[in-house]
Amino acid sequence: MGVAAAPLEAAAREGSPGERPPGEPRLVGYLYVLPAFAVFAVFVLVPLVHAAWISLWDWNGLPNSPATWAGIGNYTDVFTDEQLRSAFVHALILLVFYAVLPILIGLLLAGVMARARVRGLALFRTILFLPQVIAMVVVATMWKMIYDPENGALNRFLGWFGIEGKSWLGDFSLALPSVGLIGTWVYFGLAMVLLTAGVQKIPPSLYDAARVDGAGPFREFLAVTLPGLRGEIAVALTLTTIYALRNFDLVYITTQGGPGDSTTVPAFQVFSRAFQGSQVGSAAAVGITLTFVIFLISFAINRVAERST
Amino acid sequence: MASVRFDAVGKRFGSVEAVRELSLEIADGEFMVLVGPSGSGKTTALRMLAGLEAISAGSIFIGDKRVNDVAPRERDIAMVFQDYALYPQMSVFDNLAFGLRRRKVASDEIKRRVEEAARVLDMSELLARKPGQLSGGQAQRVALGRALVREPQVFLMDEPLSNLDAKLRTQTRGEIRRLQQEVETTTVYVTHDQVEAMTMGDRIAVMNDGRLEQVGTPEELYERPANRFVAGFIGSPSMSFFTGPEVGLTLPRNGAVVGVRPEHVRPWREGLIGPLKGRVAFVEALGRETFVGVDVGEARLVVFEEGRAVRDVGDEIEFGLVESGLRYFSSESGAAL
Repeated sequence: MGVAAAPLEAAAREGSPGERPPGEPRLVGYLYVLPAFAVFAVFVLVPLVHAAWISLWDWNGLPNSPATWAGIGNYTDVFTDEQLRSAFVHALILLVFYAVLPILIGLLLAGVMARARVRGLALFRTILFLPQVIAMVVVATMWKMIYDPENGALNRFLGWFGIEGKSWLGDFSLALPSVGLIGTWVYFGLAMVLLTAGVQKIPPSLYDAARVDGAGPFREFLAVTLPGLRGEIAVALTLTTIYALRNFDLVYITTQGGPGDSTTVPAFQVFSRAFQGSQVGSAAAVGITLTFVIFLISFAINRVAERST
Repeated sequence: MASVRFDAVGKRFGSVEAVRELSLEIADGEFMVLVGPSGSGKTTALRMLAGLEAISAGSIFIGDKRVNDVAPRERDIAMVFQDYALYPQMSVFDNLAFGLRRRKVASDEIKRRVEEAARVLDMSELLARKPGQLSGGQAQRVALGRALVREPQVFLMDEPLSNLDAKLRTQTRGEIRRLQQEVETTTVYVTHDQVEAMTMGDRIAVMNDGRLEQVGTPEELYERPANRFVAGFIGSPSMSFFTGPEVGLTLPRNGAVVGVRPEHVRPWREGLIGPLKGRVAFVEALGRETFVGVDVGEARLVVFEEGRAVRDVGDEIEFGLVESGLRYFSSESGAAL
């Protein structure tokens, strides 16, 4: 607003409160938001606070059975209890398979695509995206069959080359990576769709400039493709990180956390503690901790992505 | 520094022939402007010279070296792009230094060159900024600076001014010309704007539909256009075309198309060819001069009047032609006669 115009405008707006430009929401706007907020509160905020409350007690979950105050005991268990600690460590390992690996593969493809236009890209993308649309239960069941030590497709395939098959989901050291690779298979499509769409949005003149400036393929990737995909990488990383950390169905169907606890994850611990082990307080504490970890990591990813703008 | 030579260069995109048999020699240190309407092949020609587009036929030489199969980074050229193509994540300094670092120039030498370019372009205070924090004009200077620091054999510029507003464009036009004369680097400049071409080029190559229509100094193109296309493309407002019978005149070359520029069509006075009578179709009063579009039968001529002429659309106007300003073109081929 120009200084000279100020008195005129103020006069024209006589009676309207504050310095708000015309059309901006007024306080009455909050009234309109209220119904939605009430629903959100009843179904999200209240249960969340309730869960946090439960997590401070030792309780078996039966309505009439007594609960004893545990304080932060359920939370210290997350760090001291061997089973819970390994569940969180497994979640972080799965992060590599669910988030890091798919994005690296996606980036490689995006880098290649930036150099050479791929024919039939739409079809190619649809096929690679397919795992995304299949229900995770189906994916898990299918891969359980593929990994089957006796009749599984993988061992039979290896057999053609004279390689002895393994018990992929039954071996203590193989089970976690085997579950992880299913995640890679599923989320690779998501990362690829995001990144290949992002790479098409980078102005071609930037590639021209880099080539004229003397950049080879690798330097071109570092100077143009990677920075140009920063936003897409942040989105892909956030989504796949959340999927990795809250992963439940895949583990439940393929391994039930086994053998031993070698593939157990936090979400599986929430389930088994709440509904099988009668440790509802502990389950709630794990759930809250998991929520917090997811929030923290997503926040960090997006802060880094924003800062490098 | 080096000369550039296009030798019967052609480019096909599938069934489309973007550039046909382009032969053009650009002298060492020359400022050559490629001008033409969109789709005329001028940008494709430039991109082939840069190595960003493969050459379908013929040869391109930079200096004595045939560069058809030489990668862009080995051609020792620097290019300024229409959208500037600055690396958004890098500071202005790093944008300028990028090409030098790729060429393994020592870091104190990079610093010296970047600071020198920033001084010449009056943008020393911008070096720490990111491209997103620059105005259009500033980004344009950075793009120029990035080419300048490279000290290449040839500058290539692809419509570098078309994203600037009119005033800045005029100003930068002069600045680019001044810089080029200072460093004396061979420059190939692509534009669709004939005013840019006329004011900047040592010589101008007019392209149309993939073909080179004429090469010459601005004066040659203006005074002696080789054909109707060049005659109509160069000059603003453009040349008017008509035939003798259309306007009721008997002219020396019967059957030819006559072209005449506005400054050679004047309100009637003794000594002109005429008088011709017509109706005013439009009036463009620019203050210092007025262009009056006049319909004479089927033809439309533009009359030049000094100062602000008082005319209304539909008025009768009597005017004449300056004989020395008439150009004749073949009615079949369009070639100058």
